Amino acid sequence: MATPLTLVPDLRPDGVALLTAVGEIDMSNTDVLAAALERTTGAVVLDLTSVGYLDSAGLSVLFAHVDRIELIAPPLLLPVLNISGFTDLAPVHASPGV
Amino acid sequence: MGRGRDRDEWRLRDPVRWVKGRSVTRSEDAGREPSVTAGADVFAVDGEIGGDLALVDWEATPLGSPARWPQSLRTAVSILLSSRFPMWMAWGPDLTFFCNAAYRRDTLGRKYPWALGRPANEVWAEIWDDIGPRIDTVLTTGRATWDEALLLFLERSGYPEETYHTFSYSPLRDDDGQVVGMLCVVSEDTERVVGGRRMTTLRHLGSDLSVVRTEQEMLAFTGRQLGRNLRDLPFTLTYLFQDDGSARLANATGVAPGHPAAPAALPAGDTDGVWPAATLAQGEPALVDLRRAPFTALPTGDWPQPPTQALVLPLLRQGGGPYGFLVTALNRYRPLDDGYRGFAELVAGHIAAGVASARNYQAQQRRAEELAELDRAKTTFFSNISHEFRTPLTLIMGPLEELRGQLAEADPRIREELETVHRNGLRLGKLVNTLLDFSRIEAGRMRARYQPVDLAAVTSDLASVFRSAVEKAGLSFDVDCPPLDDPVHIDYGLWEKVILNLLSNALKFTFDGSIRVRVRACDGHAVVTVEDTGIGVPAGELPRLFERFHRIENTRSRSNEGSGIGLALVWELVGLHGGTITADSVEGEGTTFTIRLPFGHTHLPPEALTPATGTAPSLAGPLSVTSAAADPYLQEALRWLPDDPTAETTEAAGTAPASDPPARVLIADDNADMREYLARILRGAGYLVDAVGDGRQALRAVRTTTPDLVVSDVMMPHLDGLGLVAALRADSRTASVPILLLSARAGQEASIEGLRAGADDYLVKPFIAAELLARVRASVELARLRGHHARWRTALIDSLREAFFVCDENGAVIEINASFADILGYGADGLPYAPAHPWWPDAETDPEAHRQVAESFADLLGQGRGSHTLPVTHRDGHRLWISATFNQAQDPETGRRVTVGTFRDVTAEHYAVQRESALASLSTCLSRATSLDDALRGALTELKNLWRARSVLAAVFDGDDEPALTATDGSPVWRLLPERRRDALTELRGRPPLSSVTDRTGAGVLLEHPEGPLALWIDLGDHRPFTGEDQLLLSLLAGHLAQGLVRAHQIDQQRETALALQRAILGPSSLPDGFAVRYEPATPPLEVGGDWYDTVTLPDGRIGIVVGDCVGRGLEAAAVMGQLRSACRALLLQDARPGRTLMALDHFAADLPGARCTTVFCSVLDPRTGHLTYSSAGHPPAILAHPDGTVRLLSEGRSAPLAVLPGRARPEGECDIPARATLLLYTDGLVERRRRSLTEGIDQAGAAVQAGRNIAVDDLATQVMTRLAPEGGYDDDVALLLYRHPAPLDVVFPAESSQLAPIRTALRGWLTQCRLSPPVLQGILLAAGEACANAIEHGHRDAPGGTIRLRAEASVDDLRLTVTDSGHWKPPRPEINAHRGRGMALMRAMMQHVTVTPGSTGTTVDMHTRIT
Repeated sequence: MATPLTLVPDLRPDGVALLTAVGEIDMSNTDVLAAALERTTGAVVLDLTSVGYLDSAGLSVLFAHVDRIELIAPPLLLPVLNISGFTDLAPVHASPGV
Repeated sequence: MGRGRDRDEWRLRDPVRWVKGRSVTRSEDAGREPSVTAGADVFAVDGEIGGDLALVDWEATPLGSPARWPQSLRTAVSILLSSRFPMWMAWGPDLTFFCNAAYRRDTLGRKYPWALGRPANEVWAEIWDDIGPRIDTVLTTGRATWDEALLLFLERSGYPEETYHTFSYSPLRDDDGQVVGMLCVVSEDTERVVGGRRMTTLRHLGSDLSVVRTEQEMLAFTGRQLGRNLRDLPFTLTYLFQDDGSARLANATGVAPGHPAAPAALPAGDTDGVWPAATLAQGEPALVDLRRAPFTALPTGDWPQPPTQALVLPLLRQGGGPYGFLVTALNRYRPLDDGYRGFAELVAGHIAAGVASARNYQAQQRRAEELAELDRAKTTFFSNISHEFRTPLTLIMGPLEELRGQLAEADPRIREELETVHRNGLRLGKLVNTLLDFSRIEAGRMRARYQPVDLAAVTSDLASVFRSAVEKAGLSFDVDCPPLDDPVHIDYGLWEKVILNLLSNALKFTFDGSIRVRVRACDGHAVVTVEDTGIGVPAGELPRLFERFHRIENTRSRSNEGSGIGLALVWELVGLHGGTITADSVEGEGTTFTIRLPFGHTHLPPEALTPATGTAPSLAGPLSVTSAAADPYLQEALRWLPDDPTAETTEAAGTAPASDPPARVLIADDNADMREYLARILRGAGYLVDAVGDGRQALRAVRTTTPDLVVSDVMMPHLDGLGLVAALRADSRTASVPILLLSARAGQEASIEGLRAGADDYLVKPFIAAELLARVRASVELARLRGHHARWRTALIDSLREAFFVCDENGAVIEINASFADILGYGADGLPYAPAHPWWPDAETDPEAHRQVAESFADLLGQGRGSHTLPVTHRDGHRLWISATFNQAQDPETGRRVTVGTFRDVTAEHYAVQRESALASLSTCLSRATSLDDALRGALTELKNLWRARSVLAAVFDGDDEPALTATDGSPVWRLLPERRRDALTELRGRPPLSSVTDRTGAGVLLEHPEGPLALWIDLGDHRPFTGEDQLLLSLLAGHLAQGLVRAHQIDQQRETALALQRAILGPSSLPDGFAVRYEPATPPLEVGGDWYDTVTLPDGRIGIVVGDCVGRGLEAAAVMGQLRSACRALLLQDARPGRTLMALDHFAADLPGARCTTVFCSVLDPRTGHLTYSSAGHPPAILAHPDGTVRLLSEGRSAPLAVLPGRARPEGECDIPARATLLLYTDGLVERRRRSLTEGIDQAGAAVQAGRNIAVDDLATQVMTRLAPEGGYDDDVALLLYRHPAPLDVVFPAESSQLAPIRTALRGWLTQCRLSPPVLQGILLAAGEACANAIEHGHRDAPGGTIRLRAEASVDDLRLTVTDSGHWKPPRPEINAHRGRGMALMRAMMQHVTVTPGSTGTTVDMHTRIT
């Protein structure tokens, strides 16, 4: 059984694709995340505010889309994004109000 | 236990009744449809028992339908059902029976489900007499009962079974508070009690420490021990196979001999016998049914009924058929399971080992004694026979000499016969002396005095004695002895024997040609060859040429006489000189003997060296000497030759008295020319002449061999002629020697006159030869008449076997006989010996022996008579024991008071006594040893003391590269031993066991050590003789030691078993995570004492933690401790409140002797929250070390020690253990020291825990024990228990990615318990997640189904994570899995240290990080 992860696709008012993730991301469910990202085209904003865990398997999915992705991430995930160098390659915004 | 009940009343039931009772119930059940009773929801707590309870027809019981049950009953039932601890309860007027699943499993057995809902007295009818009264007590008084290890015969497995239960009955109250039932919490102790009983028997079997034991004693002892356990062994029979294949009853327990089941003998090959001896002879065990003939009226052991089965086990022998077999009747109330069978096999194994040991010992003992006896007999025989011959020989030869003189003019036939007697007497004397030489060499008493000589001159002088005989035989005699540049050290007397024997041998076997004697220097040796052109020696005989009593048969020789010991003696004598002798021979062509003697003296014992003197035919001058010793050789040789009538005429032509043996004259003159002149004149007249250069040498020469006359010059250096006269006259032994003085000038005539009282005669130089000869002859004849009596006395004294001595009034020894010199090594040449005599033991090195001798010497001087057994030191340094007797006497000639004494060498007797005491002392030492190593060390010290050795070394060849060494001094290393020692030890290994060897430096022996052959070496220091007695003793002791070591080894093994047993009663075998414990008993080798620690995991997941301290120490305290520990444990399970537990323990302790005043710290910990409830019964406060560095003492909840105030309520304290804090519970042994306050000790303990708050608890436990240990170790029992909160997380999960989320949840929860900040927590979570993902992906990608283990442990500042998988990591391939490489980077970023250790069985990732 894969780790529970809910992905809600949406469109921002500006037409940019918005994907909101709830749950945890690890190697057991990266295929779900990858598939959801594959379904979007162009720029995409991934909101990780409600994600409590993200590991290197999840990061590798994000790196695959690094040229078109923006992240909204809670403080808890910022260290991993920094250390992996992701923040140097794509915009990462702090989750509002967290 | 029977509890004092009559055996007849034992409530045993036929198991069939059980089946009946049960079937009736079931058939009733079958009569109606099973239906679930109304209100059965109360049973829903447990699906298993609850289901069956619901099926009970409750309406038929006094309790009625569960729907109407009071709340109290419903609560009781649900507590019962939800508990994992075995329990049953009874409720209501019929005491209706309920139980839970654990009870069903452990105790109820086949009575389930029949028992449910039945009256308790029906359910437990067979034990109701035991338990009924207890239940009554509970119901009437409302007080709980407690029974430990109560014997109950349960019929749960189809037969009455011996079981032991520890249980407590407590009252159950209804809603009104009335006691209406009881609850029984029970734990079964059967395994422990039965196992303990068997261990006791095995321990008893191994408890006999006496080392020497015959087979019979061993069996009797074993029988006594087996007879003490009539429960497991109702009766036993030990049969031993005889040589004829039959079996003999060697021991019986529990059954009287003569019983039909215990025949005294089982014939060989009898297949229908009482016991299957034939099967057992094959080494096969057998199980025998005892419910048939002839097994009637069998003894019952400790039970009411006789056994039904017997297990018959072979007594196995290594590498052979069994010694016999052991019949063990079996306890019919216990199943024959692995444990029981194992027990019986251990007993049989013990008996077999005992038989092996006893037989082996007996055989070894017999062999050692036989060897020793043989050796002793041989030496004694030689010694005795020589002495016994010497006395009669003296008494033959003395009168014979006289007869020859008296019958000089008699009938020639008579004279001829007399000459025959005389010659043969001489020959016999020579043989006896040779034998005596051997016995001296054997006994280490050969007293050689080595002095430097010109070997060429000495040898050529000796050879010249044979010249006439050789030439008379028609052989040419070639003596080629040019002087050597360096002196050779020889004992003249012994060397004389060597040369004379060789020459006599050559003459005997050579019929034509020549005999040649040569002396040369070659390669640092003097080489002496004696070569003949005789018949030669067959090549096959050459190797045995020097063997004693070996004669070559059927050879042509001049005489058939010969004992075959001459060459053997030569071989020994050359050996004494540090030389070698070899023989080369070609049959028919001749034989060459070659002797090689080293120059110098380093090869000789230093104490046996003497400087060159003039008496020996030495460097002083080329004086020819014929010793009396040469006479028999020459006489014998001449006898082989054809008679030559001229020979006698020549002899008779001499002017010396023809009838007497030639008189011996000693010449003392400092002028060599004069000396030679005198010698020539006298020798020409037939005298035997010795010549010396001054008075001092003359004195020594006279004391060695008394001459018939001394001819001395007046003027001489060192001691002049007058001084010599005075000295000779002053010594009773030499007082009668006639002296002829030669004065240089006529002017001295007057003074010579004045000396006439001293000297016998005088001559003024110059004098003519005839005058000299006339004076000499007159003096000799006069002296011979006068001295006859004195010589006779001397001959008699000398022939005494006992040593004889005369002391003057000052205690100086002034006269001795030959035996004296033989025994002590101090000869007549050293007289007088002034006190303290040189044979006294050294006051420095052996003060006790010195004191003993000094005391008896004081007796000798004071009382003048006495009898003593004394230690003395032989001249060569070895210890002798003599038994001396002395008496005062008056010298008839001088009137002086003298003391005359004799003594005997009692060394052998002394050592026999010593041997006994040495054996006893070694036995004591071995029996005291507490381990194999201890036994060996003790024994080595015993050996060292016994022989006053420098050191003793043991090497065990245990199969390792290097033998294991043990020594009396230091810890030697094999590689660093001198090569000589290593070789000696290795060589010993190749020898048969228990046969000792010796060389100049010590002695060794090989014996069996349980771990391999043991080579033992006793280093005696240089040149200390190790006699045959010593070798015998060493063999015996070695046999003894081997035996002792085997026993020590057994004790070692038994101790290990005992320790395992002790540890089992000490504390829980496995601790919950997060705990560490230490225990240090005050009384080694015990591993338990009065202190204890315990942890109990309670049904609700909390943990009971107890540390206690009983009064006293040792085994007694441990027994009390064991019971208190069990009780406390059971009480905590029943009611997890520390205060209540201690109150209940108060009651328990009040009835338990020795338990009063025990202190206990009892607490209950919730490992999830760190909440701790505790109560202390007079125990020192627990210590809590906070992560911030502060220390808190848990000193609330204090009250009196156990059983001091029973019934008094006990307060409780509470505290919350913060995350990463460490809790220390301990007993006062850790902190209590003399002359120091307890507070100080507690502070120190707190500081020690604080100091280690960052290391793992187990390491911390070691550190605390070490830091607080007083100098010299703990002198009281110490128990210590540490807990760090939270306990480490340790999970094992399948290597599947779906497990990642649940594992994270668990880890997150644990990290939260550790109170970590969210970012730190998230980092650790990520590192762990990556490591687990790696393990899943790399470790198990190709091998699914593996597991992963995650362990997390926190200390104050540090957190450690370990992830272990069971697979093989693939090397990361970044091109495929970029994110995996990233994963490793993340781990390194989040944790401070990351180590990946790949291994053959899996990979371990170890990570640390600081968390503060």
